[in-house]
Amino acid sequence: MFPGSLMMGAKDRLLPPSLPYRFFIAAVLFHVAAWATLLTAGPGAVLGFVGGQGLVLAALHMITLGTLVMAAMGAAIQLLPVATRRPLGPQWAIRLMFWVYVPGVAVFVVGLGLALGWAQHLGATLAVVGMALFGWLVSANLRKVTDLPGVTRYSAMAVVSLALLAVLGLVLLVDFTKGFLPDHAAIAATHAALAGYGFMGMLALGFSTVLIPMFVLGSAVPDALVKRAALASGVALTLAVAGTAAGIGVVAALGAVLGLVAVGLHAHAMRGTIQSRMKKKFEPFFRLVWVALVMLPLSLLLAVALALGAPADPWSTLWGFLLIFGWLLTFVTALMQRIMPFLASMHSSSLGGKPALVSRLAPKLPVDIHLACHVAALALVAVAIIGGWAWPMWLGLFAGLAGSIAFGVFAFEVIRRYRSHMTAAAAANHEG
Amino acid sequence: MAEVTPMVDGRDVGGPPEWLASALDCQPVDVRGLLAEGTDPFSAIMEAAAGVEFGGFLVIDAPFNPSPLRRVLAGRGFSSYGRKLSEGHWRVFFHQDGGADWERGAEVEVTPEGAMTWREDDGIHIDVRKLTPPNPLLAIIRLVEGIAGNETVVVHHDREPQLLALELAERGWHIARIASEMVNIRLWLERMS
Repeated sequence: MFPGSLMMGAKDRLLPPSLPYRFFIAAVLFHVAAWATLLTAGPGAVLGFVGGQGLVLAALHMITLGTLVMAAMGAAIQLLPVATRRPLGPQWAIRLMFWVYVPGVAVFVVGLGLALGWAQHLGATLAVVGMALFGWLVSANLRKVTDLPGVTRYSAMAVVSLALLAVLGLVLLVDFTKGFLPDHAAIAATHAALAGYGFMGMLALGFSTVLIPMFVLGSAVPDALVKRAALASGVALTLAVAGTAAGIGVVAALGAVLGLVAVGLHAHAMRGTIQSRMKKKFEPFFRLVWVALVMLPLSLLLAVALALGAPADPWSTLWGFLLIFGWLLTFVTALMQRIMPFLASMHSSSLGGKPALVSRLAPKLPVDIHLACHVAALALVAVAIIGGWAWPMWLGLFAGLAGSIAFGVFAFEVIRRYRSHMTAAAAANHEG
Repeated sequence: MAEVTPMVDGRDVGGPPEWLASALDCQPVDVRGLLAEGTDPFSAIMEAAAGVEFGGFLVIDAPFNPSPLRRVLAGRGFSSYGRKLSEGHWRVFFHQDGGADWERGAEVEVTPEGAMTWREDDGIHIDVRKLTPPNPLLAIIRLVEGIAGNETVVVHHDREPQLLALELAERGWHIARIASEMVNIRLWLERMS
């Protein structure tokens, strides 16, 4: 009797758990591999990093392509259909995306680390095909959605950024061997801004308008406020990208300043949700969210300084670190920490019986260790970059590796507890 | 209808609105057949409502209390008054009077999220259809958390909710039963024994 009421059933929206979890497992493995690779490269390589092939660039892409995008894919394929109440697309496309993208990223980062041109080109091509599939699946799902302006607007900007950053990434790769770009560093910075603020940043902000109200049991984010924040984000990104690519520092700085305004508008849009929340005590994953929300404006402030002429050594290295490790890695691991047990709980009643409680599926000690190590790594590496000191860098890299291993233990334990619950449910069914 | 005790949202509350006497002469639009065939009659109802001038009436016969429709039409200036004539047969009278008085005589409460709650013999009913997510979840959890005893909560939803079971489990509740009808998926929520 009511428009839009004929919606797909709950079962149609739930994918087999192996589909999202294969992306999460890959993300966790790349997370560990990235810190291990940075340790292998050593403080000298990290401190002097201003781009170029090698282990540091490989580790950076293990985080961006391997952990951040992988986690976004895993979360999006399951949560988008739930949020939009529309099917995502054929499951074969999701499987194909995984089997093209994961080997592609693996080959690509090996190519970057060992300076193997053929591996870079092959891996990048496969990864771009995987990301194109992802962009297509997301776009198709959101095409007719009208009641989630937060998700649709931010996601649209994310998809456009994805296409642009993929093109620029391929151009940069070819430039490694052909050397035709007049300013490789400017295009690399544009590529990084599109990846960090454009693709992943927009996805993070868009998804937060759905996930945060759901996780804190807060009111829906007002459409008008989120539309305003999304508009400001889009204008900011356009200015920042255009200014960086063209080498016009004032325009890039203006974009970064507007980016700060957009972050403020987004926080303002979310404030009502947080204030009206029914879960008065924030869950543990929120500790990482707060850290990430400090890192995002810090990275933008640094971007303003760089655009206005601050020396690239050490500030561009610090900017990249705060953007990728400080803001995005922190935010994405926070959401994975909540989403992994949440999805497991959603699936846990599929055999009948009571669902496994999220609180029982999520072990606390590993996430506490991850939080402590991750925050220590952020502080130590940042200090090391600013001061040019090797010993805090060593400590920071070790802390990062320890944190990533703790996060891996958390992920393993969630899956183990889920499987254990399902085994017990199957046995109860058999007896019943 | 005269032999049936006047009910408002399932309860004998007396005191129907003064305009009801005029509305009784209106020929009801019976949408039960359409719903039974799986056809959504929303467009037809909205078309009929669009033709009602100020001061006019519209009467709908439905298999359940069409709370979301009442909210939608209230937004278009209609006050409404519902009677449960028998099991599976509701008659709702709409009066185009600006809608300022649309909840008059109705023993329903509207939660902060916009859900309607009322009592029937089988428990507390809550209608969360057409609310923007996550407001349905919030309204149901708020209601459940306010119940001290073993009362059953009957949810009227427009889809099978996926997150509700998890939040209920955390609070010692569960979905005991689900009945799927056209545009009215009902869920019976009970405390776990």
